[in-house]
Amino acid sequence: MVKSILSAVIVALLLTVGAIYEHSAVKREFTEFSFEVEQVYTIVNEKTAKEKDIYDLQEKWLSKKRRLFMFIPHGEIKEIDLWLTESIKLVRDEKWEDAVSKIEVLKELVEEIPRTFLLTPENIL
Amino acid sequence: MLIIFLRTLITYFTLIVVIRLMGKRQIGEMQPFEFIVTLIIADLACVPMSDVSIPLLYGIVSILALFLIHQVLSLIEQKSLIVKKVISGKPSLVINKDGVDLKELKKNNIGVEDLLESMRTAGYFSLDEVDYAIFESNGKFSAMESEKRQKGNSLPLLLIDDGRIVKRNLGIIKTSESDIKDFLKTENGKVRSVEVLTVDGNGRAYIKERKRKYRIGNFKIGENVAW
Repeated sequence: MVKSILSAVIVALLLTVGAIYEHSAVKREFTEFSFEVEQVYTIVNEKTAKEKDIYDLQEKWLSKKRRLFMFIPHGEIKEIDLWLTESIKLVRDEKWEDAVSKIEVLKELVEEIPRTFLLTPENIL
Repeated sequence: MLIIFLRTLITYFTLIVVIRLMGKRQIGEMQPFEFIVTLIIADLACVPMSDVSIPLLYGIVSILALFLIHQVLSLIEQKSLIVKKVISGKPSLVINKDGVDLKELKKNNIGVEDLLESMRTAGYFSLDEVDYAIFESNGKFSAMESEKRQKGNSLPLLLIDDGRIVKRNLGIIKTSESDIKDFLKTENGKVRSVEVLTVDGNGRAYIKERKRKYRIGNFKIGENVAW
């Protein structure tokens, strides 16, 4: 009986702490990254972005994704990787309209992924 | 490949710990909610184990969540009889001193044939060999032997099941529907009012009519019946 209660309490605590940590980690990483993407979006829109800006953004994403692999489906991480890589080439070639649309999708992804971790009926059902 | 191996290793040890913590019950002794947990756990463990695009944590968290639900339900079940009844059900008395309780059998979606099968598994071949028979809440069958138990040397066959003649058994004892009707006339009964009629190779009949205690009769068996 004591063992049952104790194990249930420990697991409940583990799950609660894990859920809080996951929620805050995903929110923190994506809030920071979203800010970086927004900045890049502005300079790409103004047609003043350099290839290095996207490389920097990619570098920041690489350090974040190592921490996020544990929580989010790897397919979604790969999607961000792809959009970022495509943006590099478009900025290098100064194809601004295409680059803007790529960064817009990236912006949407970065905002959407943390939303899937919110406790909302559409995420639960 | 090494990744899948490591993921399998982690999932396996998580499962071992969880199953060990759940207790010592064997599969056949599981309560319905334990059975559900076991069924789901197998699938939960499999998918993230082999699909490297799914974080392993998804599988482990689901397994731990199930374990938590299981532990909480078990604890509540131990404390509350009402909850126990709702979650695990209650034992079902399918044979009492009056004989087979067809209503109780139907409540549990069990047929007379299933009851006879369970009795045979328990070592009883005739319905009157036991005073009480129970289907436990975990699905196991228990029976209390009758003091007047007579071990027969022939296997009883089901001839009437809930007011309907079991035609496929008639050929085995070389009898007909009219023979059964005639027999029931001598017993002051009708096919429709008989819930259970079994007859063994010696003509020993177990008759259970609706709202009446069972009785034993003597059914005339045709000659050259090799059964």
